[in-house]
Amino acid sequence: MSLPSTAAPPGRRLFTARRLPALLMILIVGILVVAPLLRIVLATLTPGGLEAWQAVLASPMSPNLWWRPLLNTLILGIGVSAGCLLLGGFTAWLVVMTDVPGRRLLGVMHTLPFMIPSFAAALAWGTLFRNSRMGGSSGFFESNGFLIPDWLAWGIVPVLIVLIAHYYSLAFTIIGAALSSVGADLVEAAQMTGARRPRIFFGIVLPVVTPALVSAGSLTLAGAVANFAAPALLGLPVRMQTLSTRLFGMIEIGQAERGFVLALLLIAVSGVFLFLSDRLVSGRRAFVTVTGKGGRTRRFPLGKWRWPLCALGFGLAGLTTVVPVLVLVASSLAPQTGALFSNWTLHFWLGEGGGQIAQGTAGIFRNPVLIGALVNTLKLGVTVALISMVLGLALAHTITRNKGTVLANVLSQLAFLPLLIPSIAFAAAYIALFGAPLGPLPSLYGTFTLLVMAAAAHNLPYAVQAGRSVLGQIATDLEESARLTGAGPLRRMWAIVFPLAIRGLLAGAILVFVKMVRDLSLVVLLFSATSPVLSMVAYRYAAEGFMQFANAITVLILVICLAASLIAQALQARVQKWKE
Amino acid sequence: MASAPTEAKDAIRITHLVKRFGDFTAIPDLSLSVPPGAFLVLVGPSGCGKSTLLRMLAGLDDPSGGEIAFMGQTVSSGAGGVVADPKKRNAGLVFQSYALWPHMTVAGNIGWPLKVAGWDRQAREARIDEVLGLLGIAALRDRYPAEISGGQQQRVAIARTLAPKPAILLFDEPLSNLDAKLRIEMRSELMRIHRATGATSVYVTHDQVEAMTMASHVAVMNHGRVEQFGPPRELLARPATTFVATFLGTPPGNLLPAQRRGDWLEHAGVALAPAALAQGRDAVQLFYRAEQIGIGPAAGRPVLKAEFSESAPMAGKVMVTATAGAAGDALRLSAIVDDFPDARPGDAIDLTLSGAPDAVFAMTGERIE
Repeated sequence: MSLPSTAAPPGRRLFTARRLPALLMILIVGILVVAPLLRIVLATLTPGGLEAWQAVLASPMSPNLWWRPLLNTLILGIGVSAGCLLLGGFTAWLVVMTDVPGRRLLGVMHTLPFMIPSFAAALAWGTLFRNSRMGGSSGFFESNGFLIPDWLAWGIVPVLIVLIAHYYSLAFTIIGAALSSVGADLVEAAQMTGARRPRIFFGIVLPVVTPALVSAGSLTLAGAVANFAAPALLGLPVRMQTLSTRLFGMIEIGQAERGFVLALLLIAVSGVFLFLSDRLVSGRRAFVTVTGKGGRTRRFPLGKWRWPLCALGFGLAGLTTVVPVLVLVASSLAPQTGALFSNWTLHFWLGEGGGQIAQGTAGIFRNPVLIGALVNTLKLGVTVALISMVLGLALAHTITRNKGTVLANVLSQLAFLPLLIPSIAFAAAYIALFGAPLGPLPSLYGTFTLLVMAAAAHNLPYAVQAGRSVLGQIATDLEESARLTGAGPLRRMWAIVFPLAIRGLLAGAILVFVKMVRDLSLVVLLFSATSPVLSMVAYRYAAEGFMQFANAITVLILVICLAASLIAQALQARVQKWKE
Repeated sequence: MASAPTEAKDAIRITHLVKRFGDFTAIPDLSLSVPPGAFLVLVGPSGCGKSTLLRMLAGLDDPSGGEIAFMGQTVSSGAGGVVADPKKRNAGLVFQSYALWPHMTVAGNIGWPLKVAGWDRQAREARIDEVLGLLGIAALRDRYPAEISGGQQQRVAIARTLAPKPAILLFDEPLSNLDAKLRIEMRSELMRIHRATGATSVYVTHDQVEAMTMASHVAVMNHGRVEQFGPPRELLARPATTFVATFLGTPPGNLLPAQRRGDWLEHAGVALAPAALAQGRDAVQLFYRAEQIGIGPAAGRPVLKAEFSESAPMAGKVMVTATAGAAGDALRLSAIVDDFPDARPGDAIDLTLSGAPDAVFAMTGERIE
């Protein structure tokens, strides 16, 4: 027997009452995401814009503006993607599928490189491998008598290495997750047929994780294509341009339309690969989470290769995590890059200006710009995190409430759009829309507001995802069972919804915060000289050759990120405490 | 403990098999053998070592001691590990999770083992069609595992195992993921397939009904030992231990602890049977089948005071469950009677025992009469 539903509102009213917030959300997402992208397209369709298209694609300048950067970008994208699949695939196999010693620790260490911003790795590379070609002090190796050839110090090779070292841990995470879903049963069923190990690997294991390989490949490729920091720090000094550095350069020198054209092309390049990979694994071949209970995984005994492969795994993790951080810390303390571990001084941190060291520049904590940048960075991180999470929660709520309707579909598609846009191109779109006065609105270019808007919009996909998982934790029956006890809405909110949601929300907010603190490619176009953020100051120092200062600031950024991550982890642990 | 007739022509012969995981001994010492074409069911509660035994038969795990021989040939031994790799064993395993390869179609799943075995394309295609027909799933040929239902996945898993014509078929709780109706259907399906292929089968389950209906031989396992081995009818008629007696049968039989008092064996002060049955022991366990217990007093028969708990219809009769004794260690008793008793849960009822106990067990569990 079913109870008659109590006072169900007439269908029509319900419909409009529900539609209103959805429409409001679409309006917000429209302004934050769609409008800038539309505007940047329109900006390139004006007479000036069409000229820019021609200059970029079909003029004597186009090899410099478009073709060579494109070639470099593609080499980087494909090279990084291949390298990441190789390294990430190998490490994932080692950690998940074999009996290598120290697997747990290895697993944790190989996820770390992605936490370290790519400009940190690039700076560390410079500190070690810089040669005298660009003037200024040379790096650790050259100062100690090793001749570093140009190709190893600058240009495409170091950028490739730095980006692979950064992005392979993303591939590791994705492939590792897929490998651990290959249940022991699948492998044993193949063993029962009498197939040998190579045949099982190529016939069963590899095809099952192919979708993961494809998405790892395309995500690392998109990341490398969009990356700004590494090519800017290691490529620009030898005029190696990628699409993102070219786009940055064009907007810097006031050729905004050409910059916009390049931004659209960059979006197209990364979009093509993401689209292709999506095609490749969609439909009936998307079988990642099919069959079986997974659980147990079959570990292959490595035999006599156990210890050599263990050493290799730890060596790799050390080179991509411990070494860069160590180099940055040592360099921020050592007066000479040639002697990273002697005569340590706190000058670059606390020293007064006017002395012998560093052409009389004061330590970073004596620099009012830096203090301002520190405050700005924290302010930016916190503001963006809060706004993103509120937006994300509201969006996720609207999407789940209107599940199945066209509105919800449009909304979730739009909210995930920024994921496909390289952040520097996204920043360019914001300049296109808000860079000039817009009706009654003044120009927002260089303001904190613009930065916050762009950052919140760009983090929307993560925020919506976090919001969804938070809402997922609060199943409606939890709230309903509280309602049956007679608790009023405020009390339910306080006693049930809030405790369940707060930790998930905080964890999501901290993720966004960390992403903002270490971001360079979004802020590099949108920051203003008067109120910079830390990553921007570090970039400026590095561009002017003050490596120690740049490294010191980078260490500061790492410390902030680490502290935030530890807080997030502590929160996560508390979540799991009552989950278990 | 089963006695092992050591004939060379046994399809499966297991001798003094031992399996240890670190300090834990899963199987202390196990021997048994079945003739070709047998349907051996390993039944027991979870953790009794039946799946461990099956994995050793499949060659997925090495024994720590003892030996397994198929058709007179040693395939695993504690001394040499897995002597014969899966290919040479000529055995197939149906997994509880089905373990279908998600990236291959149904036909691909069935054909891959044949490809590994080196069959040519034409023979493969013919064999795929043949087993698809045998399992009645020809229409699913080009679907992916994710696109078919659980029952269909189960059929594909069986078809894949049958395809290379293994001499020995191993099943690891293959029906436990199906709903009740489908399970009964697949049960008779599996028996039909067993008759059609003639392969010696080993079937692991914790469901004693499956064991009793499908098996030609049953091995009841507990704590890594075979408590009793034989045809299902014999196990039911003459359980060798209290474990077997209470594990098999629907409903399970009743065990009443009894003390010798003078010339009688007494339970809770009620004289049940002559003391001679105890063969000199002071305390024994008396085994009564459910159909030996009735409700309401009857002249000259022992009566137990009990508390009614539930009744359920069963094949035209009624199964009544009642508890006797103190709440702490109450004894659950099952009776089969003709009509629903006029009682509500918690009411006191009289249980009447008719006839002599069906079996007498020592307090340590082994049968003495």
